[in-house]
Parts: sequence; structure tokens; C-alpha cells
Amino acid sequence: MSQEHVKMNVRHISPNASIIDIQGDFSAVAEPILMQAYAEASTPPTRAIILNFTDLAYMNSSGIGLLVTLLIQAKRQKQQVMAYGLNQHYHHIFELTRLTDMIKIHATEAETIAAAKRL
Amino acid sequence: MKNARKNAWRMLGEWNIPSAPGNERLALTFISEALQPLGSRMAAFETAVSEAVMNAMEHGTQYQPGTSVMLQVLASPTSLMVRIHNQGGQRSKPVAEPDLEAKLAGLQSPRGWGLFLIRNLVDEMQISEDDQNHVVELVMHLKAPRTSNQPSAEQSKQHARDTSCSQEES
Repeated sequence: MSQEHVKMNVRHISPNASIIDIQGDFSAVAEPILMQAYAEASTPPTRAIILNFTDLAYMNSSGIGLLVTLLIQAKRQKQQVMAYGLNQHYHHIFELTRLTDMIKIHATEAETIAAAKRL
Repeated sequence: MKNARKNAWRMLGEWNIPSAPGNERLALTFISEALQPLGSRMAAFETAVSEAVMNAMEHGTQYQPGTSVMLQVLASPTSLMVRIHNQGGQRSKPVAEPDLEAKLAGLQSPRGWGLFLIRNLVDEMQISEDDQNHVVELVMHLKAPRTSNQPSAEQSKQHARDTSCSQEES
């Protein structure tokens, strides 16, 4: 799945958890790609949607809005959204917007997967 | 803005950015070299500038072909300023403070974070407008004030060390 400045890849790491690898710009143009990736990632009985921001190049307020939309959908499906790979700047933005209240942030993929297994 | 006004501002550059979706990224390529003195605070300023440029294009020039947004970078001995100027569009309207819980409950649009981010990422912001012109001035001091929202490098390192533990406990 890709558009000009963003690519997403879905990995089913267990029956209960999927990772969406986000590469490039997370802005308004990413919406159809994210929604397609989410649909692919959230096949039942998925309970954890993990966002990998390691290769994130840029995120703006539209990207924050996309995450809110994703959270609304995940909440309906009774899924937990988790993330890792955020740099210091975007971690700060997640704190400012209080996304950290809703998206559990971990330092590494291994820690995130371990936390997902405990759900 | 009072302190900033006392400074003698020196123009470092001026650019006209064509108004088109995504061109806030183009704006950053022009100004990034001038923002280097900000060091670790540069990313915060870049995000604020890109949000202001995006607002100017979306709500000001409304992405009309042939229109542009003017960007100026100015420096004083203590601060950097980016001025974003557009013509046309509508005057600013009061917007509700974004609230994540309200958004998740469907009481607010999922969008609407731009001005909030700008306000929280820069040291000073001033908006001036009339029927034709809309100007946003964003100022970042070269030395972060003690009350800055941006965590210090050591705080961030400590936070990174603590994150997985605190998150897993919650």
C-alpha cells in the first residue's frame, strides 16, 4: 500500500495482534492507505493494533486527526492501539494532544509485542 | 511579543510558496537552514511553521491555483521569527479547544489540532489580519525559557527509559 509520500505494511504477528509499519509522511494523503491497512490488520480476533513509527518522516495535525479516527474505529472493535518508534519530537506531540492517554507507547517492537500478548 | 518587538529584526530570507496541498513541506525545505541555531527545538518550530503555512493555504488562499503564501525568516540576537502572510480568505473564527475525549465521543471533529499545536510549540505567536491580509508571526527564542513545554534532552532520555515500564503498569 503506497501513495506518493507514504507506505504502510501490515504484519500479522499473532492471531490477536497486527503491526502497521508506517514509512514516510503521515498526513491527510495517508487516510485511504491507513484505513486500508487498518482493515487488513484488524481481522478477527485481533485485539491489538500496533503502529510502528520507526520510519516516520513527518506528521502534521491532519495525521493527528487520522489517529483520532483510527482510535474511534478501534474502540468500536474493542481493540487496543499501541505504538513504538516515535522520536522525541513526536512523542512530545503525542503528550501535548494527550494521545498518550489512549495509545500505549513502548520503546521497542519486542516490548510492544510482549505487552500485546498480555491483553 | 513585547520582548520580541524590542529586538532588531534582520531579514534572512523571503519566499513565495505556491498554494497547493502538501506544500507546507516545501516551505520547510526553504527555511530549515535558517532554523539550525535552534538546535533540539528546531523540530518543534518546523512543525509550528508547517501548520501555519497549511492553515494559510487551506483557509486563506484555499489552494486556489496561482495563489501563494509568503514566508519570511527574521533573526534577532536572541530569537528567530517566521512570518507567514497570505491574502484573501476569511477572517479567523474562534475555534473550540481540541479535546481528545470529546473527539473520541464524536462531539468534536477528529481534526482541528493545527492552532493548538502552534500555540504549544512556539514561544510567542501573534496573528494580525484585516479584510485582505492575514499575517501570523511565530517566534522561538534561541535559549529555551525554563517554562518551555519541550522537555530537556535529559528529561527525554529519562522518559524514554521509563516509558515502557509506566505504560505497562497502567
